[in-house]
Amino acid sequence: MELVTFLAVAALSVASALMMIVQRNAMYSALFLVLNFFCLAVFYVLLGAYFLAVVQVAVYAGAIMVLMLFVIMLLNVAQAEPTDRRLGLFRPFGVIAALILLGELVAVGARYGSAPSAPVAGEPVSLAFVTPTPLPTATAVTAGAATVGHTQEVAAVLFSRYLFPFEVTSILLLGAILGATILARKRPDTEDVAHVAIVQGERVK
Amino acid sequence: MELPFPLPTIPSRVPTEAYLILSGILFSLGCMGVLLRKSALTIFMSIELMLNAVNLSFVAFARQLGQLDGQIFVFFVMAVAAAEVAVGLAIIIDIFRSRRTADIDDVSWLKG
Repeated sequence: MELVTFLAVAALSVASALMMIVQRNAMYSALFLVLNFFCLAVFYVLLGAYFLAVVQVAVYAGAIMVLMLFVIMLLNVAQAEPTDRRLGLFRPFGVIAALILLGELVAVGARYGSAPSAPVAGEPVSLAFVTPTPLPTATAVTAGAATVGHTQEVAAVLFSRYLFPFEVTSILLLGAILGATILARKRPDTEDVAHVAIVQGERVK
Repeated sequence: MELPFPLPTIPSRVPTEAYLILSGILFSLGCMGVLLRKSALTIFMSIELMLNAVNLSFVAFARQLGQLDGQIFVFFVMAVAAAEVAVGLAIIIDIFRSRRTADIDDVSWLKG
């Protein structure tokens, strides 16, 4: 049952990601990305990360994508967006590069389980990062699997061992607020020049 | 603290490799979006897709290792992504305001 769910949602997530890239209209792209985020929330539930699943829906699909949709509507890019006309020769190279990356990532991912946990004789030690680290003892794994991901456990770790990064995050968010406010502020000097030039029909250089 | 009812524990039968492969596919799709699209907003969304692909592999590894650290990392990635979206969208709005375009080819004036 879990496998069926995984396969169905995986197909849906890949399809929505593909549609997001292919869509010309930025609005449709954003909506397909929201669908993709919901698929990832399902994966988090399957993996036992219930807290992250809720955060994924609330923060990503809720806050971030609403902000993005807001900007798309504000800018009305649907009419302003040009076709990808100047890609030319660059397009096949982009596809090839992405396919090479795909091959590498899938090869490494598929190797993960089959790779020996101990380095094989003759294999360079520098490759050790590809092989899985020796897993914790069976008791640790089973105990972890039962409780991992529950909000209480996440909070216990977040507010003890990761307290300092957590506080740094708040400073980062404060900086982002200030930066966004200053950047999006109306600046009459630059806007007037550009707007007058556009009205006169010449391209700003 | 004891919960009044036991939380349902979903058996982990889907192998970690499946999640890693799916994560790789999603990451490559995001990379393809960054390389092939010219709209700044679509490129932005592709970056979000790549971040989410990495988050998925973080959570998969967290389950595999039976440790919470991966999930904490995902939490921080989400916070950084939120900050990045706020600043990035402000930049896009600023560019659109001065140039009336969201096409990254029209904003190449930083090129030497």
